[in-house]
Parts: sequence; structure tokens; C-alpha cells
Amino acid sequence: MTEAKDDKLAEAAQRLATEISPTRDLWPGIADAIATPRRPGWTPMFAQAAAVVMLIAASSAVTYVTVKGPQQAVTQVTPELAFERASFGSHNLGPGFQDARNVLAAELDVELARLSPAARDDVEANLEIVQKAIVDINRALEQDPDNVLLQERLLSAYMDELSVLRRVGGLTRNVMMRNDI
Amino acid sequence: MSALLAANTSDYSQKMVIDQSDIAADEAAWIGQAQRSDARAFEALYRLHVDKIYGLCLRMTGNVSEAEDSTQEAFIQAWNKMDKFRGESAFATWLHRIAVNTVLGRMRKSKREQDRIQAVAETMPTLPATGDTGELRDLSEAVDKLPSGARHVFVLHAVYGYSHAETASMLGIAAGTSKAQLHRARRLLSQQLTEQGFDA
Repeated sequence: MTEAKDDKLAEAAQRLATEISPTRDLWPGIADAIATPRRPGWTPMFAQAAAVVMLIAASSAVTYVTVKGPQQAVTQVTPELAFERASFGSHNLGPGFQDARNVLAAELDVELARLSPAARDDVEANLEIVQKAIVDINRALEQDPDNVLLQERLLSAYMDELSVLRRVGGLTRNVMMRNDI
Repeated sequence: MSALLAANTSDYSQKMVIDQSDIAADEAAWIGQAQRSDARAFEALYRLHVDKIYGLCLRMTGNVSEAEDSTQEAFIQAWNKMDKFRGESAFATWLHRIAVNTVLGRMRKSKREQDRIQAVAETMPTLPATGDTGELRDLSEAVDKLPSGARHVFVLHAVYGYSHAETASMLGIAAGTSKAQLHRARRLLSQQLTEQGFDA
């Protein structure tokens, strides 16, 4: 491709029509859609994603309660988790999510106690980053509650946190298996 | 000109052509009224910008049906976000950004949907009516056949005149990627057009 060809192509591209009339009037469809109140807020996709998070949290909590039993001693090895409300616009993930997450947090303390100090430091550092992000995003959402990007990032941060919590369980189980051998 | 808002909405487009010099002032008034949920003012904005937005959607998608849906969705989103328009950029640029995001969002939504669109395009090879004639029509068709990444960059940069930085920002890519995609687009277009005897 020569420079002259390149220039000619660029010149031709600039002459392409940029304003094109649709073959039918699109306004009636728009008018129907905007006749309903603004701010859709809780979109179906977002609601589905939130449901996935709650399902993961709830199933993890049930697994914990079933496997560990209520009499397990809890060793507090980390400072209390900083946790802001799970808000998405005008909606919250609700007490069910918070309860499930509290169970996972309690499990975390037990699991962390089984890890080596270095591994524990790594996990705590990772959790601190994720939880700081959750706090920061929640604060930003207070200023701009309808910001879909922030809502998606908050949800993603919660999923990251749950992922870390679940990985901790896997880590300690591996340690126990090696000890068993 | 503000009296236009009291007229029948069907009169908007015709009168706007007549009163070209007042368009900027009218647009500002309509924006303010649309921000206060005046659907008729928003219709005036739609009539003023629909050809630009539909043109962009058609160039980006290469598909009439998808372009129509994207245009409608873009204007619906614009309506929902009207209170967020602060006038930091031109209203047309703000609308363009929403339209680009809409097209990209729809494309990301479902690969199956893309396959369906492709299948429809293959079974109904009628070309989008872009108004281009002669060699420009060949170029237009060749642009439609570009891979989406290269096509989007070519349309925004080469056709609509956005800088690489603006194009990259709209598409959510790096400026270097925009340049690379433009180079790729030019190479592919040159190949296609040479095969068709286009003198470019």
C-alpha cells in the first residue's frame, strides 16, 4: 500500500456520508420507551449478577455450617473486617447476604490460624486491598448512586472478596492434607 | 424560535431547516427542557440529531436492523441520562459517545445475537442505503466487511474525523491500538478495493 493510495483512501473516507436518514421513523419506539419513568435502576443483568453473588455466599455459608458444626472454637487473628453496606443505587444486597458473609468472615479467622505467617500475611494483604476497594466504591456510590460502572465495580469487588475467602478454605484444606500424610 | 415548542412536534424538522441560524440556541433550549422531562423537546433533539446517530450506528454495525435498534436504544439512554449532560462537550459529541457505547454494548451482549445478525446479513444481502454513490459505494461496502475492531476505528477516525485519542477513549482501547487498527483497516480496504478495481 503506497502513501498516495493511503491518502486517496483517507480522502475518500472523508467523503462518505456521515448523516444517513433511517428508512423508517424511529421516534414512536423511543416515545413508547421514554413514556415510562426515568432511572431503570435495578437492571435485569445486574439483578442476576447480584443473585449469583448471594447464591455463592449462601452456599458457602451452608457448607461451613454443615461441615464445621457450631461448637468450633474461633480464633481471632485478624482485625475486624471493614465492611460498608452492600449498596447498589437505592438497593441493598440485604441481610441474607450480610449474614452469609459474616459466617464466611468467621470461617476466615479459623482458616487463617492454620496458615503459615507468610501465607496469612499474603491473604490479609489481598483482603485489605479488596475491602478498601469496596469501601472506596461505596463512598463513591454515595455521591453518584446511579453510576452503573461503579455498581458493576462494587459487585466485582464483592466477588473478588468472596473468591479470596473461598481460596483461603482451599489453602488450609491442602495444608491439612499434607499434615495428614 | 422557542415558540416552536408550542407547535406540533411534526413541524419541528421542517422549521429547523428553515431557521438554521437559530439551531444552536434552539438546541440549548431543548436540552434544558428535555432535562426537565419534556418529551416534546427531546423529540426535537431527536429530529435534529437522528441522521448523525443513525449514520454512525449504520457505519459501525453495517446492518440496517441493528443500526435502527442501536439508534433507538442510544436515544432512550440519552433521555435517561439527560440530567447528566453538563454541556462540557457538544450535545452531538455526547450523543455520539452514547451511540458508540450502545453499539459496543449490544455487540458484547451476546455472541449468539451476533451470529444471528451475520446469518440475516448473509441471507438478506441488501446493502444499507448510505447515500454513497459510485466508488464511494464500493468503499462503503468494503468498510462493512472489515472486522469489527478495524471497522470501528476506521469509521470513527477516518470517516467521522475523531482523533486517535478520542477514538480510543470512545472504544475503550489504547491510542496505540487505535493506530494499529487503522493501519489494519487501510491494508484490508486497499486489498479489497484493488480486487474490485477501485482506484485508491
